Amino acid sequence: MENIDALIVTLTKEAQAVKPAPHPFRLSLTWLVLAAIYLALSLALFGFRPDILAQFHRPWFAAEFAALVCVLFTTSLSAALLSFPDLHQIRRWAFAPLAAFALLLVVLGFAWLADNPPAPLPVHGFECTLSIAFFSLLPAVWTLLVMRHFASTHAPWAGSVALLFAFSVGALWLRVYEVTDSIVHLVEWHYLPMLGIGIFGLWLGTKILKW
Amino acid sequence: MQRSLTGDQRAYASLLQETACLLRPFLARRLSFANEVDDLTQEILISIHKARHTYDGLRPYKPWAYAIAKFRLHDFLRAYYADQLRHAEDFDELEEILPEHVTETAFGYESIHNEVQKLPEKQAAILQMMHRDGYTAKEVAEKIGMNESAVKVAAHRAYKVLRKLLER
Repeated sequence: MENIDALIVTLTKEAQAVKPAPHPFRLSLTWLVLAAIYLALSLALFGFRPDILAQFHRPWFAAEFAALVCVLFTTSLSAALLSFPDLHQIRRWAFAPLAAFALLLVVLGFAWLADNPPAPLPVHGFECTLSIAFFSLLPAVWTLLVMRHFASTHAPWAGSVALLFAFSVGALWLRVYEVTDSIVHLVEWHYLPMLGIGIFGLWLGTKILKW
Repeated sequence: MQRSLTGDQRAYASLLQETACLLRPFLARRLSFANEVDDLTQEILISIHKARHTYDGLRPYKPWAYAIAKFRLHDFLRAYYADQLRHAEDFDELEEILPEHVTETAFGYESIHNEVQKLPEKQAAILQMMHRDGYTAKEVAEKIGMNESAVKVAAHRAYKVLRKLLER
């Protein structure tokens, strides 16, 4: 107990006024705004797919885009909440990505059924995954670096959700940039790798978000 | 906590005192030894100090503090059980030992006295006090002015060296 008293004296001496961390909603919004700016700049640089307006008139493309935006929003919110030791005491919002991924799965299922006759498979394959991963690097780095300033008590999940957020930025960009309508290709090279990224994030979180 | 976030040191000290009082029974229910409770309480207080910027003073304090406490407790237990596993005897090794006289030991402290003298001075002194004079690790720590865990670590290292010496 004497040691504890001595420690309290030491900690008290070190204690200066600190600026409380921003609310997770605000933090999430900041990440979303940065992601929007990043997307806008990239699209200004690389351009949209030429048939983008026509694509938005296809219900399953619009639904897939909306589901992907939901994934982006919910993973950003969840990553922000998971940065706090107590998940800011709004724990249930941290599970929101599950609903968004379920929605994406359902939409992809319907899009698969609607893809009749099937759209031709593009000649490329893993290049899409690589492009998304490369595009996601910057959002992943900035998100994880910001999260390191907090105190996550769920480091593996926080790491996983942060990478999923970054990867969904990349997936969103490629969806509006690349002229591909083959649902098989999309599932195989755009969305299934998300699973691997999520698993990789579990490991990365334990390494990066340790405190 | 709100006052302590603005740099009020007195409020902060009182908050940490109260938190320590909250944590001790919480940890005592989950850990076996008083020294472990003390060590972990200190670790949790340091974590609370490091993470205090993640508390804004607008939501209840206890869930926030307990979230950190549980996190550190799990860390501690994970390390503890990993350590237990590392030092666990292999059944194959036990089979080799069991047919022998397990209740009698071939070595007394006196019989390995010469090997103990070959150890570094501090390790030899620790082993002498623990095995010849019958002091506990805590008492040895007090006598030679070391931390109890440091004494245990030094003793453990000495055992390893001794084992090598005796196996030759």
